[in-house]
Amino acid sequence: MDSEDDIHDATDLDSLDGGDFDDERNSGDDYDFEEELVEISSKIPQQQQHYTVLSEADIRQLQEDDTTEVSNVLSISKVFASILLRNCNWSVSKLHDDWFADQDRVRKSVGLLGLDRPVVDQFQNAREVVCGICFESYPLNQIKTAACGYHPFCNSCWPGYISTSITDGPGCLTLRCPDPSCDAAVDQDMINVLVSDEDKDRYSQYLLRSYVENNRTIKWCPAPGCEYAVNFVMGAGSYDVACNCTYSFCWNCTEETHRPVECETVQKWIQKNSAESENTNWILANSKPCPKCKRPIEKNSGCMHMTCSDPCRFQFCWLCLGSWKEHCSRPGQYYACNRYETAKQQGVYDEYERRRKMAKNLLERYSHYYERWAANEKSRQKAVNDLQQMKAENIEKLTVKFSMPESQLKFITEAWLQIIECRLVLKWTYAYGYYLPEHEQIKRVYFEFSQGEAEAGLERLHLCAEKELLEYLTSEQPTFAFHDFKRRLTGLTRVTRTFFENLVKALENGLADVDVYSVGCSRSASSSYGGGGKKKGGRTVYERFAEDYDYASDSEF
Amino acid sequence: MATSTQASLLLHKQLKDLTRHPVDGFSAGLVDDSNIFEWSVTIIGPPDTLYDGGFFNAIMSFPSNYPCSPPTVRFTSEMWHPNVYPDGRVCISILHAPGDDPNGYELASERWTPVHTVESIVLSVISMLSSPNDESPANVEAAKDWRDKRDEFKKKVSRCVRKSQEML
Repeated sequence: MDSEDDIHDATDLDSLDGGDFDDERNSGDDYDFEEELVEISSKIPQQQQHYTVLSEADIRQLQEDDTTEVSNVLSISKVFASILLRNCNWSVSKLHDDWFADQDRVRKSVGLLGLDRPVVDQFQNAREVVCGICFESYPLNQIKTAACGYHPFCNSCWPGYISTSITDGPGCLTLRCPDPSCDAAVDQDMINVLVSDEDKDRYSQYLLRSYVENNRTIKWCPAPGCEYAVNFVMGAGSYDVACNCTYSFCWNCTEETHRPVECETVQKWIQKNSAESENTNWILANSKPCPKCKRPIEKNSGCMHMTCSDPCRFQFCWLCLGSWKEHCSRPGQYYACNRYETAKQQGVYDEYERRRKMAKNLLERYSHYYERWAANEKSRQKAVNDLQQMKAENIEKLTVKFSMPESQLKFITEAWLQIIECRLVLKWTYAYGYYLPEHEQIKRVYFEFSQGEAEAGLERLHLCAEKELLEYLTSEQPTFAFHDFKRRLTGLTRVTRTFFENLVKALENGLADVDVYSVGCSRSASSSYGGGGKKKGGRTVYERFAEDYDYASDSEF
Repeated sequence: MATSTQASLLLHKQLKDLTRHPVDGFSAGLVDDSNIFEWSVTIIGPPDTLYDGGFFNAIMSFPSNYPCSPPTVRFTSEMWHPNVYPDGRVCISILHAPGDDPNGYELASERWTPVHTVESIVLSVISMLSSPNDESPANVEAAKDWRDKRDEFKKKVSRCVRKSQEML
């Protein structure tokens, strides 16, 4: 045993993550440090550092551990510890703080009065006691009280009281003594003695759920029918988590993963998608879009001289939607718009038609983004199915056909996984694009440039993985051609990954590079851009963009 | 069945107690002697309140799982009060099961528990008559009168009192 402890000390000193590796380490006497290093580095899960997926058993275990800890530290029974913890949203540290600050107050607020001994002291001399609910007399062994010890109820009234409360829902977790003046808690031990197995199970289920639902660091996986929960380490980077049920979601907002778009944007977008049909009609009927920035404007009072709100500030005439500057040739004639009146008389101007057209433009802008958002989702779904089929049938076919071991064909699965991931990112960049302000011209151009590059890369990869692979599956092809294909697909996967990494990085820092650029020091900015960003042809995405943009704006003059 | 026998035993017991030892302020009996779950009570308007002198009839209906769930109380006499619905139903917190109020609007300790009896319920109704709660009114019009037009409120209550006396 001594040697084992030594080993533990050694690893602690080297601050390696021990725990899971005890068994392997102790199996042999020859303890090779270097070998272990390799072993550990290959075994540490890549992205599971900041969260843990919990099964029901894991949750029970955690709950049990917390309860036991509190029960030991505060020297109280486990059921009382669990009542206290539930009241503190299962935060052990908060409970300790509260408890040591003011024990009496904590006890009172959860209904653990005085010392923890639910004993019927005061009735010891009586032979029979009257139940406070049915008013019948019972011998002492047929009545019980809650933690208060003062209000006796019989063994047939208690079960009725408790099971009614359990039927009513999770409120049963805060069940108190039936006497209205009494705060004493009814604990799980008492409940387990008094009610049916079915009710016991429901109670313990509610208790389990409360551990997840009141806990600040644990959330249920939102996938339908999934019973796992995810424990997240706060402040440890990305909110993206992958549940054991294969569903990936954002732990913060519990929508699907949506990098590089922020949770608020996702909420706005989802809400917009669901509300769109009703809103469109209203907008069409009641508003006009600003002629410059296209934001819808409802005119509810005032004159025809409109000024769009910040940052657009465009001034225009509500009637003809022309610029106010050109509009007012003669002072005093603003109110009745000449251009509008003349045009209407000549029949050139159909206000309804014009309004409809404006709204249509607005709607078209939304549809543009929505269609692409939805199309990428659909494409991702199909890719998920394709991957499954690939794993189920096609990989095996290929191993036979080109007599390659499965391990050599991993590049295909990797390509498909990359496609699925990229489709998701690309999909959400369309929500990002929709909310990117129209007036931030350079940002828009840069965004569309990076998005375009990434999208083109993904399309090439998707095509290669889908169509080209099909040829190798269906028709006779020489082995060397397949090797060539392998090289190409692997290359495309890598390039696409880089494109998307850059896109995500650029969007996640709010396209900050162009701010530097617009101040006029673009060349120095390029070196600071994206530390890990891969370069292609010695230039970053941004550099290539900047040159294109320079070229484009030069050519305008 | 077991619970409904328990309920009827308990109700019979309470009826016997109330007949033997009547309580000041109300009288209680059954609507129909064959049905222990429907009680008819007459509440005497509490002295020194607007309801003084009135004799208000109400029906208490008990569920088969009484006392695990609360009865309902409904005035059959005309009534003008912020906590009585226009159809006569009484809205007080002790008649609400603890599970009914997900918003935590009423404290759990103020709601139904099986220790309540006919006597404690009727006493709560009497205390409601002497001190209306206009925070969460069942009858919004009555609550507005009670708050802003006390004279109007008094007039309407006196009318109810008079009517209840005529019905005797």
